[in-house]
Amino acid sequence: MRDALNEDQRDALQEVANLAMGQAATRLALLLDAFIELSVPRVRVVAVRETAQALREMTGINDTVSAVRQGFRSDIKGEALVICKSDSIEQLCSLVSDPYAKSAYEATTEEELIFDVANVLTGACVSCIFEQLGRTPVFSPPGMLGAAMTLDDVFQPNVLAWEIALLVEVNFSLEDQSFRAHLVMLMAEDSIRHISHALDALLSSL
Amino acid sequence: MNASSTASLSDLVVERVGFGIFVLDRQMNVLMWNRFMQDHSGLAAEQVVGKSIFTSFPELPRVWLTRKLESVFQLGSFAFSSWEQRPYLFKFDHDRPITGGVDFMQQDCTFMPLMRDREVEAVCVTVSDVTHVSIVQREREEAVAKLKEYADRDGLTGIANRRYFEARLRDEYTRWQRYGGDLSILLFDLDHFKKINDQFGHSVGDSVLREMAQRVAGVVRAQDTFGRFGGEEFALLLPCTTLEDAMLVAEKIRNTIGTTPVEVQGNSVPVTASVGGAAARAGVPAYEALINEADAALYAAKRQGRNRSVAFI
Repeated sequence: MRDALNEDQRDALQEVANLAMGQAATRLALLLDAFIELSVPRVRVVAVRETAQALREMTGINDTVSAVRQGFRSDIKGEALVICKSDSIEQLCSLVSDPYAKSAYEATTEEELIFDVANVLTGACVSCIFEQLGRTPVFSPPGMLGAAMTLDDVFQPNVLAWEIALLVEVNFSLEDQSFRAHLVMLMAEDSIRHISHALDALLSSL
Repeated sequence: MNASSTASLSDLVVERVGFGIFVLDRQMNVLMWNRFMQDHSGLAAEQVVGKSIFTSFPELPRVWLTRKLESVFQLGSFAFSSWEQRPYLFKFDHDRPITGGVDFMQQDCTFMPLMRDREVEAVCVTVSDVTHVSIVQREREEAVAKLKEYADRDGLTGIANRRYFEARLRDEYTRWQRYGGDLSILLFDLDHFKKINDQFGHSVGDSVLREMAQRVAGVVRAQDTFGRFGGEEFALLLPCTTLEDAMLVAEKIRNTIGTTPVEVQGNSVPVTASVGGAAARAGVPAYEALINEADAALYAAKRQGRNRSVAFI
């Protein structure tokens, strides 16, 4: 498992993720007209059994979470989860100023806003990483994985069809706010192979 | 040479495909409009292309749609709209005008960036007709609600069944364990019910059970749970009620049942009931014990000659 990616590839992927998140932050700031702080992305290869624990460590969340999922695909495919503590899902919407507040006529539901925010965060980050890898992903619509579930419920080893996954985590916060939302990209074995090819191509082009 | 002989295969597919496809530039001008959009809106490509979409469809949510599009242009990523949050974008009719029961075609929309040299040139919007999905889902929700209702009710009397009663009792008991306060239950039993069945037949017996359930249901409070425990045995869950008050309710129920005979199929059937009551208190380990205590009190009421209520002390 450790050698799913070699050391050069890991370094390259970390660099790709760093660049991509910088780019994503710029785009999000422009779009949302707010400064959203993105953490340095963390890249890990995890076994399915360790995933929940790895995410608990990365996010620092031991309580129940709300999770919105979304699929993305090119030759590299996977799922992105936007995760936050279940009691702070409303605050997720505060990451963006409510665009509809000015318009009572165009009312929107909280659920729609949650999906919008999750989609924007996922879209920005995943697209930027893919761009660095020379790919244009196709996304599937966001869906609620659960409103109050444990990370163990999200990753039940006996029902999942993968053994190891590449996990990229980044978290968002607004200036002056303790609230954090986490974006986790997960890509399984097949996609790791494609990523490793893409990274090799990138390294050899330097 | 007609238009279709110069069209590429992709053009022909876009023209015929069973969902809406149109393309917008950053100023919200329509660049492309397929046949699905034309058929459902009644506006042909010649009428729509080259103009702002809001010129042709002033009723579209302007802020919302502009924002969706802008996010695709700025992020180079996708955006979505689901019928579950926003039933439709366009007021299109659907193919179930007779049996559907929804006003307009329910729509899932996808906003895709069309890229050229890493720049978003335009946004392609697809509109899928998911009316059928929405109807199936609504029917499923209605069926589930009905099943849930049936699962909680006793078939003969229409009041709560034992399973539901015990679930409510368990919840209330847990609440009482955590927050304290008062919680009482009553168990009651129609006296010599077997004799009624033997003398008048089972259909009269069933009518008596229904009538008694109805009478008692009429005098219990909204926050109480009244259920059939089995046979001719009933139970009443009384949250926030002391044993003393519960025994007042017990007398009320006994009078409701016993004062007027039941008139069934030309027979006047006199009915009385025995009632046992018990209240949660420290040292009662579980809700089952509470039922046992009420049952013991009921048994005592029977032994003391029936048609009376007895509290477990």
